[in-house]
Amino acid sequence: MAGGQVEKRVKYKSSVKDPGTPGFLRIREGMLLFVPNDPKSDSKLKVLTQNIKSQKNTKEGSNKPPWLNLTNKLGKSHIFEFENYPDMHACRDFITKALAKCEEEPNKSAVSTSSEQLSIKELELRFKLLRENSELQRLHKQFVESKVLTEDEFWATRKKLLGKDSIRKSKQQVGLKSMMVSGIKPSTDGRTNRVTFNLTPEIIFQIFAEKPAVRQAFINYVPSKMTEKDFWTKYFRAEYLYSTKNTAVAAAEAAEDEELAVFLKPDEILARETRQKIRRVDPTLDMEADQGDDYTHLMDHGIQRDGTMDVVEPQNDQFKRSLLQDLNRHAAVVLEGRSIDVESEDTRIVAEALTRVKQVSKADGETTKDANLERLERMSRLAGMEDLQAPQNFPLAPLSIKDPRDYFESQQGNVLNVPRGAKGLKRNVHEAYGLLKESILEIRATGLSDPLIRPEVSFEVFSSLTRTISTAKNIIGKNPRESFLDRLPKSTKDEVLHVSPTFSSVLSDKKLYMY
Amino acid sequence: MIFKIEDVTVYFPYDNIYPEQYEYMVELKRALDAKGHCLLEMPTGTGKTIALLSLITSYRLSRPDSPIKLVYCTRTVHEMEKTLGELKLLHDYQVRHLGTQAKILAIGLSSRKNLCVNTKVLAAENRDSVDAACRKRTASWVRALSTENPNVELCDYFENYEKAADNALLPPGVYTLEDLRAFGKNRGWCPYFLARHMVQFANVIVYSYQYLLDPKVAGIISKELQKESVVVFDEAHNIDNVCIEALSVSVRRVTLEGANRNLNKIRQEIDRFKATDAGRLRAEYNRLVEGLALRGDLSGSDQWLANPALPHDILKEAVPGNIRRAEHFVHVLRRLLQYLGVRLDTENVEKESPVSFVSSLNSQAGIEQKTLKFCYDRLQSLMLTLEITDTDEFLPIQTVCDFATLVGTYARGFSIIIEPYDERMPHIPDPILQLSCHDASLAIKPVFDRFQSVVITSGTLSPIDLYPRLLSFTPVVSRSFKMSMTRDCICPMVLTRGSDQLPVSTKFDMRSDPGVVRNYGKLLVEMVSIVPDGVVCFFVSYSYMDGIIATWNETGILKEIMQQKLVFIETQDVVETTLALDNYRRACDCGRGAVFFSVARGKVAEGIDFDRHYGRLVVMYGVPFQYTLSKILRARLEYLHDTFQIKEGDFLTFDALRQAAQCVGRVIRSKADYGMMIFADKRYSRHDKRSKLPGWILSHLRDAHLNLSTDMAIHIAREFLRKMAQPYDKAGTMGRKTLLTQEDLEKMAETGVQDMAY
Repeated sequence: MAGGQVEKRVKYKSSVKDPGTPGFLRIREGMLLFVPNDPKSDSKLKVLTQNIKSQKNTKEGSNKPPWLNLTNKLGKSHIFEFENYPDMHACRDFITKALAKCEEEPNKSAVSTSSEQLSIKELELRFKLLRENSELQRLHKQFVESKVLTEDEFWATRKKLLGKDSIRKSKQQVGLKSMMVSGIKPSTDGRTNRVTFNLTPEIIFQIFAEKPAVRQAFINYVPSKMTEKDFWTKYFRAEYLYSTKNTAVAAAEAAEDEELAVFLKPDEILARETRQKIRRVDPTLDMEADQGDDYTHLMDHGIQRDGTMDVVEPQNDQFKRSLLQDLNRHAAVVLEGRSIDVESEDTRIVAEALTRVKQVSKADGETTKDANLERLERMSRLAGMEDLQAPQNFPLAPLSIKDPRDYFESQQGNVLNVPRGAKGLKRNVHEAYGLLKESILEIRATGLSDPLIRPEVSFEVFSSLTRTISTAKNIIGKNPRESFLDRLPKSTKDEVLHVSPTFSSVLSDKKLYMY
Repeated sequence: MIFKIEDVTVYFPYDNIYPEQYEYMVELKRALDAKGHCLLEMPTGTGKTIALLSLITSYRLSRPDSPIKLVYCTRTVHEMEKTLGELKLLHDYQVRHLGTQAKILAIGLSSRKNLCVNTKVLAAENRDSVDAACRKRTASWVRALSTENPNVELCDYFENYEKAADNALLPPGVYTLEDLRAFGKNRGWCPYFLARHMVQFANVIVYSYQYLLDPKVAGIISKELQKESVVVFDEAHNIDNVCIEALSVSVRRVTLEGANRNLNKIRQEIDRFKATDAGRLRAEYNRLVEGLALRGDLSGSDQWLANPALPHDILKEAVPGNIRRAEHFVHVLRRLLQYLGVRLDTENVEKESPVSFVSSLNSQAGIEQKTLKFCYDRLQSLMLTLEITDTDEFLPIQTVCDFATLVGTYARGFSIIIEPYDERMPHIPDPILQLSCHDASLAIKPVFDRFQSVVITSGTLSPIDLYPRLLSFTPVVSRSFKMSMTRDCICPMVLTRGSDQLPVSTKFDMRSDPGVVRNYGKLLVEMVSIVPDGVVCFFVSYSYMDGIIATWNETGILKEIMQQKLVFIETQDVVETTLALDNYRRACDCGRGAVFFSVARGKVAEGIDFDRHYGRLVVMYGVPFQYTLSKILRARLEYLHDTFQIKEGDFLTFDALRQAAQCVGRVIRSKADYGMMIFADKRYSRHDKRSKLPGWILSHLRDAHLNLSTDMAIHIAREFLRKMAQPYDKAGTMGRKTLLTQEDLEKMAETGVQDMAY
């Protein structure tokens, strides 16, 4: 990087359709400058490197011109068309380095001045949390929007939420789409016979998972024998041959080109896996065992053409593969899910990881007898008829989700049975209030002490509160909507509902005095 | 629960019993008392198997002086495993309550392929090569040879088993195939030969139909079963087909070519023996002169498939003189092959009776009927003399000899049909000569004659009076049970119109109509979005399914289905289908469930249950008629018309509807289960078709559900699913008991069965 600066002749486009403004792109560490050839043009552009979110570029060898697409943090994209690929690569590399540097810097500064330099990621995470958690959202509204707390103060106490959530997010494995790979339709330009396939890592993963032979071929051939692009071209050529259903042509092409033949031949790795798996299927499904038991259909015995079984054209041709097989295979792979945890753009890494996983699972199948045992257990479980049996008593923990209000109703009886009656109650309330007031005064005078409020006081307050709520309900009676509880401010009410049933019972056990 | 049916104390492993199970047991007990055969139809999902097992085992316990043996025949190996699973449960219960006296020995029996534990033998690909690989290591002459030559490979498991001799016994218990294998591996004994040896001691034997019906297999395995046995054919609605298949053989070009190769090999062997060990061939000749077709003392490992003709039809005579000499026999076979080759060259379809076939064979190739009849025995003897172990190689000549023996033995009930190509694929020449049996009663007759009670039972035996005619027997009990319903847990519907109100059908002239295909697809798309867990679809044939799925794939319907559920399909490859089913179950166990596409009359429809969440909806696309232009089917229909006065149309409808009922009946297993059934074809709304469905489906088929379009069906399905998802009272409501307790039964015993809550 001579002098930490790169300058290339480019065309600048604000969108894909834009024909582009010719000019120079000058990239320095920390910023990116576009100067149009025509000084009158208003498309002069200056972008700070730290504002660049991502960059994309067209692949070399595709029929597109060398484009570099920079997206800034506001989501706006800038497209630069270079004169040739080496130019573009040089620029791309430079920006990558600059970006890496930028990333380090805000990380350092984030510790000291967190309020200003919030990474977008973190912001997003906060928004996500707020969206998912309505309680949090309410609090956020209450405190932050009413300016009680600043945004940072609010989040500072909830760092854990942010941290934990981000871990959980990375652990969630995404399943596979259930769309068939053969459903990828090539795009055509409509004029020539050229077709274009768009391969994403997702699709490649699926192809590798469904067709181990293709995966193996990839590991064997790329890049030693051919480029990745050639490989996929061949693959789709083979797929095309299948789709034409012309086995003669397929056979002829396979004879000429041994690499192509790999795709056209039946998948041997798959066949091996199948043999492995068939030994582990549920015996109540095992139709293969049936075939092994059938001496009526010994060669040419039994009835052949009575019209019960229909004939399908002989399938012994090795270049024939049916849609039905593909569907079964596809569904099996989707069911298996994503077995590897590699998120890589590099196809080779994906291929190798998949092969490793397969080998491990194969080894598992050979060594463990547990699967067999489990299979038998499952069978014996299935043998029973569920509704003839007495209901099986699984050890269940009773779910005790209750309306906390019930607690107060249950206390009603207690309250009414207390000899003190309503008058006593009133006195009691005053007593409790008095005690509380005293403690508050004390706090004012001496500051916060270790037990914020003496346990005796809090017990008295709580029990009188409980009694008040219970009896008030009894007195107001008829109208269940309007109880003493509802007259409390909402937050207090929630708090009381949450706390009182547990606390009071604990308090009445006088256990709290111990703490 | 423990209760009494008349004088028998029944041990039933559950706390409750369905009333129909109780009635079923009562009827069954009467049949056993009368020592006669019976025919019982009981809906699926009412616990037929356990009722049957617990009554018969209890019956055995109550008559300790004359213990009966139970021979339980299932159609498939996996059903066998299921039955043994239920028996295990029952056995545990009985032993818990009665102690050791209730102990029984129950075994499942299957082929070498499913029982072998020798890894080298198991490496062989298919059943026939496993059989051959086993014989290569266990045949008596191989073992004799190994004493001189230590390099000859034997099977350790078999040697250990032989060494243990009579001490090789299974302790009492219930053994599934897996258990047998585990036991054999543990003790070092061959499970296959052990199981076959234990057949004579076992109290319960569970095996496949053909071990009793197919003379080739029955002749070896089931020879020694005593008369005091109760034979049960479970899921017997297809029993007539099994019977006729057991006696049918066909010959193709490849068979003839293979047979010719086999003859060359035999010829070489004969020459070799002549040079080295001429005495052996002479000894065989002498034995044949004396009139013994086979040595009587064959050791188990030397036996292979038995005579294809039924035991009482086999002549106990000396082998005719013209085929006693090995060379002469080979010549006769060569002439036979030549004649068959000429007949296969025909351009037209030919149909002939066995009598005329034999007479033209006599005039043109000079082979007499009696010679034909002995072909099988003669070949068997020759192969033993020549010490041939690779039986799988010699299947073609075996087939030809089976054919010869059958055609020489039976004059009626059979016909010979020669077709130059398959009707449906006239462009592919594939000549075939078929000897097909039309009379199901032939194969099953020895079973009825030999055993004191034969029970034929299934979920679909409607019309129940047809079976005694087809199988020509007189049952002492013949009953069809209804299902007592706690709630309407099945919901059959007839869908006659698609979403565009146009009729749907798989009738020949409509099946390729794109509108019908689309309507069928739309129905499924809508259904998968509202039905939880598993959905099963049955099509009328493989080719139809293949076509319709391809169309759905092109039009994007399949993609829409896949957005809701995973798709699994039955293919003609059994291994693949098994794996697909396994995956289907796993997909139903988690997530949004799956759809399984299958074929009526296919292997899945025959034996796989889609109970509980594995099947909440079955869609039967079309009426699964047989291909009516098939020559064999025509010949069979003619025969049925002539001998039993069964009308063609009646039989075809009966056959199609029993298949359809079989398909949809797979969704329900107990009354706690629920499922919907959609018959998607306008023809189901016609009374003559519909009325052939079993009663338990018909009684739930409401008039309002007879003529639905897709949108109406969706609406009904939604309502039904919502209703079924609610908790309900299992014991039944409104005075109708659908679940009986011990007390109910005792009360009933006092007042008589008439009170039964129906």
